[in-house]
Amino acid sequence: MTETDPVAGTRPVAELAEASTGPSTGSGAGGSTPPAPTGTQSMPFSRALNTGLRAALANSDRVLLMGEDIGRLGGVFRVTEGLQAEFGDRRVLDTPLAESGIVGTAIGLAMVGFRPVIEIQFDGFVFPAFDQITTQLAKLTNRHEGALSLPIVIRIPYGGHIGAVEHHQESPEAYFTHTPGLRVVSPSTPNDAYWMIQDAIDSNDPVIFLEPKARYWQKGEVDLDARALPLHASRIVRRGTDVTLVGHGAMVTTLLQAAAIAESEGTSCEVVDLRSLSPVDYGPILDSVRRTGRMVYAQEAPGFTSLGSEVAATVMEKAFYALEAPVLRVSGFDTPFPPAKLEGVYLPDADRVLEAVDRALAY
Amino acid sequence: MTTQTFVLPDVGEGLTEAEIVSWRVGPGDRVAVNDVIVEIETAKSLVELPSPFDGVVGELLVDEGTTVAVGAPIITIVAEDEATDATAPSAAPVTVGQTEHGAPAEPPAGEGSVLVGYGTGGHVQSRRRAVRQAHRERVAASVGVIAKPPIRKLARDLGVDLADVVPTGPAGDVTRDDVLKHAEQASVFRNIQTPDWGTVREETIPVERGAGAASATPVIAPAAPTPPADEDREETIEVKGVRKATSSAMVRSAYTAPHVSVWTDVDATRTMELVKRLKASPDFADVKVSPLLIMARAVIWAVRRTPMVNAAWVDTDHGAEIRVRRYVNLGIAAATPRGLLVPNIKDAQDLSMRDLARALEKLTLTAREGKTQPADQQGGTITITNIGVFGMDAGTPIINPGESGIVALGTIRQKPWVVDGEVRPRYVTTVSGSFDHRVIDGDGMSRFIADVASILEEPALLLD
Amino acid sequence: MTSDHGFQPEEPVRVLAADGSFSPTPAAERYLPLVEALTDAELEGFYRDMVVIRAFDRQATNLQRQGQLALWPPSYGQEAAQVGSARATRPQDHVFPSYREHVVTRIRGVDPMDIIRLMRGLTHGGWDPFDPRNGNTHIYTLVLGAQTLHATGVGMGLVFDGRMGTGDPERDEAVIVYYGDGASSEGDVHEAMVFAASYQTPQVFFLQNNQWAISVPVTTQSRTPLHRRGAGYGMPSIAVDGNDVIASYAATKVALDEARAGGGPRAIEALTYRMGAHTTSDDPTKYRASDEEQSWAKRDPIARLRTYLESRGASEAFFADVEAEASAVADDTRVRTNALDGIPATKMFDHVYSEPHPLIDEQRRWLAEYEASFEEGAT
Repeated sequence: MTETDPVAGTRPVAELAEASTGPSTGSGAGGSTPPAPTGTQSMPFSRALNTGLRAALANSDRVLLMGEDIGRLGGVFRVTEGLQAEFGDRRVLDTPLAESGIVGTAIGLAMVGFRPVIEIQFDGFVFPAFDQITTQLAKLTNRHEGALSLPIVIRIPYGGHIGAVEHHQESPEAYFTHTPGLRVVSPSTPNDAYWMIQDAIDSNDPVIFLEPKARYWQKGEVDLDARALPLHASRIVRRGTDVTLVGHGAMVTTLLQAAAIAESEGTSCEVVDLRSLSPVDYGPILDSVRRTGRMVYAQEAPGFTSLGSEVAATVMEKAFYALEAPVLRVSGFDTPFPPAKLEGVYLPDADRVLEAVDRALAY
Repeated sequence: MTTQTFVLPDVGEGLTEAEIVSWRVGPGDRVAVNDVIVEIETAKSLVELPSPFDGVVGELLVDEGTTVAVGAPIITIVAEDEATDATAPSAAPVTVGQTEHGAPAEPPAGEGSVLVGYGTGGHVQSRRRAVRQAHRERVAASVGVIAKPPIRKLARDLGVDLADVVPTGPAGDVTRDDVLKHAEQASVFRNIQTPDWGTVREETIPVERGAGAASATPVIAPAAPTPPADEDREETIEVKGVRKATSSAMVRSAYTAPHVSVWTDVDATRTMELVKRLKASPDFADVKVSPLLIMARAVIWAVRRTPMVNAAWVDTDHGAEIRVRRYVNLGIAAATPRGLLVPNIKDAQDLSMRDLARALEKLTLTAREGKTQPADQQGGTITITNIGVFGMDAGTPIINPGESGIVALGTIRQKPWVVDGEVRPRYVTTVSGSFDHRVIDGDGMSRFIADVASILEEPALLLD
Repeated sequence: MTSDHGFQPEEPVRVLAADGSFSPTPAAERYLPLVEALTDAELEGFYRDMVVIRAFDRQATNLQRQGQLALWPPSYGQEAAQVGSARATRPQDHVFPSYREHVVTRIRGVDPMDIIRLMRGLTHGGWDPFDPRNGNTHIYTLVLGAQTLHATGVGMGLVFDGRMGTGDPERDEAVIVYYGDGASSEGDVHEAMVFAASYQTPQVFFLQNNQWAISVPVTTQSRTPLHRRGAGYGMPSIAVDGNDVIASYAATKVALDEARAGGGPRAIEALTYRMGAHTTSDDPTKYRASDEEQSWAKRDPIARLRTYLESRGASEAFFADVEAEASAVADDTRVRTNALDGIPATKMFDHVYSEPHPLIDEQRRWLAEYEASFEEGAT
C-alpha cells in the first residue's frame, strides 16, 4: 500500500518546476519549444499575452490552459493561437461548454498540483461560474486554513468599444474586487499584458485577469527582458500638475487622449494606470493627488457601487487636506450595457472625462 | 454537591425564544446525560432537549406554557459528587450554555466569544468604554498648505492666500479663524481683561490747569432779535415745566461738554435669539424682555472696561476733577406724556438679569404713567436712549448733565451681512453714543462702543 | 422506496435483505465472489463502524440541543451506504464528502472532533486534506454539488499525470465524490459528469438518495430513477440498496477498481433514508409522515447486519464490546466538545490569501489597535 504524496499545491513555482513529475499524457505534444524571445519588440496586446502564456507553459509543466475554443481555434481573440499545437491537448485544453465546470474542475486540478489558467470567452459569460468563483475559488484557501493554495488565473476579455451584441461588452470587475480572497488585475498595454499574465500565473492566489478586449489589437513596445513593475503596482503614466486622472484597462488610453486635449487647452493632467484593481496600490495615486489637489476616476463600468467609488472614497479619506475639489467619477450609466449603436454615448470618452476635469477645476 | 444550570439554547440557527411545553422530569428525579428532560416549542418546531448533566433535578425554573428567551436558565441539576472530601475545591456552580456576557466558562472577550448555539441573543449591550481618546491622525503634510475644503473656499472668497496665513490648527492646518484674521473684515471681538471693581466706589482725578481742558464756560453769542409771532401762521407754546427743564439741561450739557459721537454697525442676531429664548423661559415669563435689556447689561459690562464713560467732569473751587464712579446708576431716556425724562436704575451693576428686567419694566411703566419722581432722575452715571423704537439707526444724542456718555440703541432689522464668506440676512443694528471729550478720548469711546456692540453680537461674552 | 410516481425501479444491488437474511438480488450476482470473500472480521468491522458512528451522531445531535453546537446534520440511517463505500476505497484514493459523511471521514482517518469544530463555529474547514493522517479526505462542502466539480478536476489531474490506468490497483488512484438526491439537481453535478465523461476520469459519483432534500421529496428532483442519469452521460450507473452495507461495499469497490484501471467514471445511486431531520434546525414532522419513517426503520442497516452476524455466530461479547465502544466514543465526544476553546479574533485575517496582502495587513492592525483601546475585560 503506497502512501499518496501530499499535494504540491502549496509550494512556490520554482520548486514546482523542479519537481515536475514526468511528461504530460495525451496527444498533440508536437514540436519542440522554440527559445523564448528577447529584446524589445512591438506587438499587439493579444500577441503579448500569447507570448507570456507560451513562456509560462514552457517554464512549468504544471501550467495548464483551459477554456472553450482555445485549443484548435486558438481562442476567439486568438490569444492562445498555436499553443495547443506546441504543447499538446493535455496542456491546452478545449473544455466542454460549461463555465462553472471549467472553474470547478480547475480547482480540482489545483488540488493535485496544477496551475490552471482559465479563459472565459467573454465577460458576460463569467456568471455561470460565479458560484464556483465566489463560494469556492475565493474561499477555499481560507476554508482550508492555509492548507490549500489555489494558483488559478481566470482570464476574461472585458469592456466595450467593439460594437458587439449583448453580454460581450461587460465590465464586471466590481463583483470580483468585492470578493475577499480574489486578486484582480487589468493590464492596459502590451508590455503590461506580457509581464502581468506571467506574474498572475506565478501568484499562489486566484487572480481574475481582466483583458481590455478593445485593446487586443493595439500595438505597443514589449520589453521581453525586464519586468518594469510588480503585479499589484499602479503607475503614473503621464506627468501633470492640475488634475490627476485615474483609470484601468482600456480607459487608460482614453485618459491619455483626454490629457492631450486638455494640454492644448492649457490644463496639465497627470494620468495614473491602476493596473491592479484588488489590491489597489494607492501610493502613486496619493502622491499625485497631493500635488494636483484634484482627481477624476474614469471607468466603463456602471458607477453605482463601482471600483471607482471605492478608490474615490479612499483617496478622499487619505488625501483630505490636499483636496481642492471632491474626487469625481466618470462612469458608465447605471443601465444594462446598451445595444451597440449606443455604446459611444454610454462609454466615457475623452469629452466625458474632460467635462469632469472642468468640473473639478471649477472648485 | 455542584449545582449545574442549563440555560435555553438556540436550537435552530437564530431563534431568540422558546416556549416550555412539557417537563419530562421533576425535582428530585435522577437524570443522566442525554436523557430527554423537556420539550420546547420554537418558531420552527417542537424540540426535545437532552440533559447536559448527570445528577438529580434541583429546580424547574420555568413553568410549562411560559415563553423564555434564549439564554434564560431553565433547570438546575445537582451533581452527586462521589467523594466530597475536604481537599476538593469548593463546588463552584456550573452553568452550561451560558451567554457571552460575563460567563466564566467563556473565553475572554475578543476571542470569538459568541458561543455557537446562542447566536442571535437579543441582548442590548452597552457601549464599551474607551480607555483613551481616539487616535488623531497626524496629517502627513506633503508640499502645500494643509486646510480643509471649507477653509480653502473661505480663503478664496475673502481673497486670502493660504500660503500667507499662519496655521494654528492641531494638525498644522489653517483654521477658519486664521483666515479671518487675515481677511479685511474686522470682527468686533476683543480679548482684553475686564477688571473687577472691588469696594471703592469713587476715585477722584484732578485735572491739571491748562492741560487741554476746556474748563471755561463757553461764550455764547447772543441770538439775533426774533420778530413777534405771526398768529395766523404760527403756534406759540409757552416754555415751562418739563420742557423748560429739559431745554436748559440740554443747553447746559451741549455747551459745556464737548460732544463727540461714534457709532458702529453690528450683527445683533444672537441678541435677538437670546431675547426670544428668554421670553420663552419660565424664569422670565412674568417680565418684559427686550433687546434693551441686553443693551443695558452690555453697557454695565462695558463700563467696567472703560470706566471713564461712567465718570463725571466736576468743576470745583479748587479746580476741575473727574469723578470716576464704580457703580452704575443706569439712566433710561423715556419719552413720556410730560416730555423727555431720564429716570435711572440705581446700582444697576448689582442686579441680576431678571431684576434688571424688572427694574427696566418698572421704570418704563412709572414714566409712562407720569409718576417718575425727582429722586429717580438724580444721580445717574450713564444713560441709554432707545431711538430704535422710532426707527432710527443712530444719532448724536446729548449727554445727560452730570454724566460723560450716552449710548443710543438703534433699530434692529434684517439687513444683508457677510457671514462665513457668504452674504446672508441678519439682524443688524447701530450702536452709537456721544461722549464728553473732556473726560474721555476717542480710543476710549470707541472701545466702549465696540464693547457694547460685541455683546450684542455675542451675548455669551457676558458669561465671563 | 418512494415509488408512487409512475416509474418502476429496477431491483437494486442487494445482498442482505431487510430482515438480515442473505438474499442477493439478480443485480448483485456479479458481486458475489467479492462478497463471499469478506471475512467475519471485516463484517464485524462494518458493524462496529456503523454502531459507533450512530452513537457519535446521536451525541452530536444532543450537543446541539444542549447549546454546544450551532448545527448538526445527522447521518442517522445512512450508515451502511457510507461505511460500505468508504471501506471500499483504497488508501491512495481521493475522497470528496458533501457534509453528512461523518463515518466516511472517520474511516479515512479524520478525527470526528474536526467535524465538531466545524459545527461549533470554530472553523469553516476542520482538517487538512493533504495531511497524510486524513487519508486524502477533503473537507465538507456546504454549497450543494460544488464538490463534484472539484472531484472531477482531481480525476482529470490523475489522468494527465498518469496516476491511474497503469494496471496496478495498489498504486492507481481513484476519486469518489459523495452527494445527495437534492444536490443531483444542481448544474454543477451535471457539469461534473460532462467533464468526467469527456476526460474519462477514474471517478465514482456516489449519490446517497436519502429520499428527502430538507422537505422536498426526491420525486420533485427527478421523474426517473436517479441512477439512470449516469447512462445519459456515457457512464455505467447502478442502484444499490444503501441500507445494505455489504452491497454498498461490493458495488463501490468494483466501481472504483474499474475506474482506476482506466474504465472511466461510474455512478452509484445508494437508496437509503434520512432517518433524522435535515439538520437540527429542521422539523420533519411538518412534511413527512411518521409511518414512512417507521417503514424505513424496519429496513435499518444496523439491525439487518446484526441479524446476519448473529446467524454467522457472532458472540454476545462482541456486540457488548461494540456497544461499550460506542458509548465511550459518544462520551469522549461530549467531554471534548465541552472543553473546546474559542478562537482569536485575528484568525479571520489568516489565510484569506496565500501571499501577503496590504489590505488584510491594514485591517488586522486596525482591529488590534481598536481592541486595545478599550478597558480590560469590557464586554
